[in-house]
Amino acid sequence: MQYLIQLLISGLAIGAIYGLIAMGFAVIYKSTGLVNFAQGEMTMIVAYIAWTISTTVSGNVFVVAVGAILTAIVLGLVIERVVMRPMLGEPVFATVMVTIGLAVILRSSINFIWDAYPHGLDLGVGRDIVRIGDIGVRTGQMAVIATLLLLLAAVWAFFRYSKFGIAMRAVAADDRTALLMGISATRVHAIAWAASSVIAGIAGVFFAISYDLSPAMFQLGLKSFPATILGGLDAVLGSGVGGLLIGITENLAGGYLGSGMKEVAGFAMIIVVLMIRPFGIFGERDIERV
Amino acid sequence: MIKYLATASLLLATAYLTGGQALAAEQGITDTEIVIGDVEPLTGPPALLGVAASIGHKIAIAEANAAGGINGRKIKYVLEDDGYVTARTIQGVRKVIDVDKAFAMLGISGSGQSIAVMPILEKAGIPTVIDVAPVKFLWEPPRKNVFVVGQSYEEGIIHLVTYLAEKNPGKKWGLITQDDDYGITVRDGFDTVVKAKKLNVVYSGNYKKGQQDFSSDMLQLKQSGAEVFLAGGIIGENIAMMKELEKLNIKPVVGIFWPGRVEPVLKLMGPAGDGIYAVDYVEPFAGPAGKAFLEKAKGLIPEAEMKGINRYSMTGYAAAKVLIGAIERCGKQPTWACTIAELEKTSNVETGIMAPISFGPGKRFSNQKLQIMQSEFSTLSFKPVK
Repeated sequence: MQYLIQLLISGLAIGAIYGLIAMGFAVIYKSTGLVNFAQGEMTMIVAYIAWTISTTVSGNVFVVAVGAILTAIVLGLVIERVVMRPMLGEPVFATVMVTIGLAVILRSSINFIWDAYPHGLDLGVGRDIVRIGDIGVRTGQMAVIATLLLLLAAVWAFFRYSKFGIAMRAVAADDRTALLMGISATRVHAIAWAASSVIAGIAGVFFAISYDLSPAMFQLGLKSFPATILGGLDAVLGSGVGGLLIGITENLAGGYLGSGMKEVAGFAMIIVVLMIRPFGIFGERDIERV
Repeated sequence: MIKYLATASLLLATAYLTGGQALAAEQGITDTEIVIGDVEPLTGPPALLGVAASIGHKIAIAEANAAGGINGRKIKYVLEDDGYVTARTIQGVRKVIDVDKAFAMLGISGSGQSIAVMPILEKAGIPTVIDVAPVKFLWEPPRKNVFVVGQSYEEGIIHLVTYLAEKNPGKKWGLITQDDDYGITVRDGFDTVVKAKKLNVVYSGNYKKGQQDFSSDMLQLKQSGAEVFLAGGIIGENIAMMKELEKLNIKPVVGIFWPGRVEPVLKLMGPAGDGIYAVDYVEPFAGPAGKAFLEKAKGLIPEAEMKGINRYSMTGYAAAKVLIGAIERCGKQPTWACTIAELEKTSNVETGIMAPISFGPGKRFSNQKLQIMQSEFSTLSFKPVK
């Protein structure tokens, strides 16, 4: 039983990271109809910036958090304004290719700006191990699960009750009609990119605290993409839940079927789910896939 | 008279041809410069080894240039980035040979990449010393112009596992390897000792390259009751595994392989990384030879590059030193044929950071002596095991 519980806890912890990144994918898709293939790279860049703040400005957790969030907002806004906005109205394929190009540039920038060595993001918190009987979990892992749950609730409330959340849903549903209603689609897009960058950045920082920071971190994006497909590409909350499901499935498969099955399990799961619900567990039926 | 004229013409023609050959020097050589090319991963995660190896080459080249170059010619180092992508390695090697007209080559990238460019190197006939990823295919069968400094992955693993097996008789073993050519080599070496020593292997895992979460793998290891564990990851993987073991509150005897034996890893592993065994053929930085190497490097490369130094800088330095020495022994007009012949004559060349290097007729692999080391968290260093 302890074995199963430990697998579930570890699965939830890594799944929460996937879930946050997957939410970032969904926020952009829901608002712009675009799949951002640079999501993993944005996660990595924000984490590296947080590490730079911690080593050069202050290691205080609040300073690093505020600095990382502000940087993530700027990163998202700059990408939207400089790279994505000029692509408005262009074919989806071309726009997606731009995000792939952006991913390569961001990935390479790690070596140019920082280095290829792994680094630890040491903020003095998150690394302690809490033991309940024979089961161990790091405080950072507990925090990322709690953060995902809080964000899921906050995002649900935002889309349901806030004026801007409703505006975003309107743009996602029909941007032309939304424009006629006085909603600025470009503003919505900009906010979506900034929000996506912040959510991905939070995942990156938690990952760096619990694991480490390395140029391989962008691969989290590849692991999180199935989560957003599973949850529904246009379902922000569903994507978060999808991350948890992928994390748990991977760990159970790895723990009971063998190490090699760990990487396969998540993808096997999305194949089965998509055969039954092609739009994902929580997705809407009429989405356009890229 | 006719006989005299014929002899004179023949002599003249011979002198012209010989002289012409001497004057028309090999590619990559001018009166003032000699070009050495290299292709390494300078971006992406494997840049950790590519950048370090290139720094090692730079140290040896700067050292030679500071001493007046190779018989008066300064060495120009041309370095290409392949991003650890084999297609780009091939492209890079072609560029270095055909466009930059390199006289000789160092490197080259990873094991798979070196294997992929072997036909190009052989066809070109360019003197090459490989130092980054020694695998048997690079020297078996021996190629005329390709020399390898180092020790084979398989031998390294055999040495490490044999040492740990003798130190921990009757214990239960666990192993995890990467799902690529590197992992297969590690597993092959491990299996050789398992058969020979009849080891009791209770856990054998295989992970996909790029995997970052090892929670279920290490939980399986714990469940198996393994007491000695060969962590077949490279850098980030080994860090993640050690952190998981710490979380699971188990501390088996752990062995790691030299691609992961870089000092910054110990800091990231934290106390969990204390006492890890490793095998290598270069000296640890904590020893006198390692300290002397760092001291030497300080005066030869920019301060910013110092932080990129790791064990691969040592292997790179040694390979470059051997190559430079061979070219130097060819005198004022070095040729590829002479350089290859001199590389073959390399005998007990001292580099100060590994056992003396030797090649020989039909021997293109230096077969370096191995040593076991153990990590010390308090000093974040590896120290030789007596």
